[in-house]
Amino acid sequence: MRIHGGVWVGVLFAWLIASGLSGVTPATADETCNSPYIAKLIKGQEDYVYVWTLGVDGVGDGSDKLVTIDVNPKSKTYGKVLGSASVGGRGEAHHMGFTDDRRFIWAGGLSEPKIYVFDIATDPAKPKLVKTIGDMADKTGYLGPHTYYALPGRMLVQALSNTRDKGGVTGMALYNNGGEFIAGYPMPTDGGGDGYGYDLAVNPKKNVLLTSSFTGYANYMRPLGDVVKDAEAMKHFGNTMVLWDLKALKPKKVFAVPGAPLEIRWSPKAGDNWAVTAAALTSKIWLIKQGGGGDWQATDVATIGDPAKIPLPVDISITRDGKGLWVNTFMDGTTRYFDLSNPAAPKQTYTKVTGKQVNMISQSWDGKRLYITSSLLANWDKGGADNEQFLRGFRWDGKELTQAFEVDFMQEKLGRAHHMKLGSKSLRSAPSAQ
Amino acid sequence: VTGRAAARALGLAVLLLLTPSWLAIPLAASHDADAPALDFEPPAPGTYTLHRIMAAPDGEVLVLDGRPQRLARFTREGITLLGFIYTTCVDPEGCPRAYQVFDAVREAVAAAPALRDRVRLVTLSFDPARDTPGTMARYAGSRARSGDVPWLFLTTRSARELMPLVEGFGQDIRYTVDASGGTPRRELAHVLKVFLIDRAGYIREIYSSTFLHPRTVLNDIETLMLEDRGR
Repeated sequence: MRIHGGVWVGVLFAWLIASGLSGVTPATADETCNSPYIAKLIKGQEDYVYVWTLGVDGVGDGSDKLVTIDVNPKSKTYGKVLGSASVGGRGEAHHMGFTDDRRFIWAGGLSEPKIYVFDIATDPAKPKLVKTIGDMADKTGYLGPHTYYALPGRMLVQALSNTRDKGGVTGMALYNNGGEFIAGYPMPTDGGGDGYGYDLAVNPKKNVLLTSSFTGYANYMRPLGDVVKDAEAMKHFGNTMVLWDLKALKPKKVFAVPGAPLEIRWSPKAGDNWAVTAAALTSKIWLIKQGGGGDWQATDVATIGDPAKIPLPVDISITRDGKGLWVNTFMDGTTRYFDLSNPAAPKQTYTKVTGKQVNMISQSWDGKRLYITSSLLANWDKGGADNEQFLRGFRWDGKELTQAFEVDFMQEKLGRAHHMKLGSKSLRSAPSAQ
Repeated sequence: VTGRAAARALGLAVLLLLTPSWLAIPLAASHDADAPALDFEPPAPGTYTLHRIMAAPDGEVLVLDGRPQRLARFTREGITLLGFIYTTCVDPEGCPRAYQVFDAVREAVAAAPALRDRVRLVTLSFDPARDTPGTMARYAGSRARSGDVPWLFLTTRSARELMPLVEGFGQDIRYTVDASGGTPRRELAHVLKVFLIDRAGYIREIYSSTFLHPRTVLNDIETLMLEDRGR
């Protein structure tokens, strides 16, 4: 995806200049893990981190909210909360994603079929809730929208569960950017498929879509301690990944990937055609790659920590050159770096305990800044003093992670800090686009 | 699945079986060679569904002789491939790339009798201040006069008339300033998108640069044609 431009000489948008937009610089930004259809990557200093935050009863307004943090070191409010946009209820806020034009964030919760749309273009410092999409369950029977993946003019939403039995059999819902439902795509239950879903990521050059698998509402809304003691419940985790024909949105091949494969990251490096994922329960890194004969294979290529201790790798972030992978393991609060120079044999080269519990990890395009949040799921987060809730910003010099700032989400009366996306003042839309 | 839907699906399947090369759109070798290589084998026409993404917007546009017309006149009653351009765009991966694909599609459609009077191309400027009808006429050259496959070159009178169309298609445009050369230059930047519109005026596919290839576009046109035949 390219943005292309040319010399602008007319008076067509003179009123844009008058509105104070002159001097705006081309967008630069995150940002190695977004949909390839999102053109406006931030390749310089990001100004904001948006944190999709779970509401906590008795903390602030108790509602899920999109929190904006100032992360530009040159700003007077660096490391401070700039504001938040509340949705007026609690629905197990989890993940979010940009539309292809990066003017809106779609976000949702796992305990409901609702999708919230925030305008981040009118004023990137002050996201505004502009729409709630509430028809996913009626249209598809799916529950718990999780991944929001931009396609041209559309958003492909991967759900985690279903309204019928609240198990893990689910599917994907396709919407246009206006929030109108287009079609549903069930996860395959034949050919080795378990019907479960979690993340999705595409490689347009190869016309393939990869999906992973987690578990359903019945498990992820229960306390983690109860789930792990319940042998029957533990049988209901995803053990597959699926390769789809992206153009046709039809499954082509099911891979056996035991232990709940979660986030999927394609190498952003041009010419690379492989992806990695981390299986949460087995603590393994898997490589999905096309062989010489054209057939795609999934291979277990590395171990994360000591699987017997269930470190629970929960999020991964790949560097823009595809040569490094950050892995957060929730239970031991550790951030790990794997050298991916040979993706078939990743090697852990750095570890640091970055919290009592750590979940999501995001990096700037240049890899020099990392952001880490704390919450996994409301009922899976730790208790007592271990239940830290934060956004922590770090600097990475290639050898050492150094904490630069912290926002305590409980002290700020915000809630549980979960998914992050980066923002920039330069992504403010022209008035014409409003 | 309703009985009618099942019958329709069966009809389409029979049609596909009986007439696998009914259209067999030939792709002009010269333009296929010009296009970037596809690193995958696209699904065969008629084996997948192109859903209605959204209705194509309507509004007033100017044709090459300067007369105002409704855009809907050029996006209904036929299959339309529509792309936004501006004539000063020089990025080879932008407007020129779309132009190249349009050329290839036009040649292929012209060579397929079953398509010739059912497919049109539309190029719409998003820079009305510079791209007057006269400028668009010079930009179009002989392409606008080709009788085999209609290729409409359109512009608008003003930003006020353009922007609802841009918004309606979801064609994001950004205004930027490039200061890298010392003297700030204001630029108009957009993500390359091309739209495939069915005869009822619904957008059925949106191509970014990745999927904007003559083969994928022609397959999609053939898929829509097969769908029409199966009704």
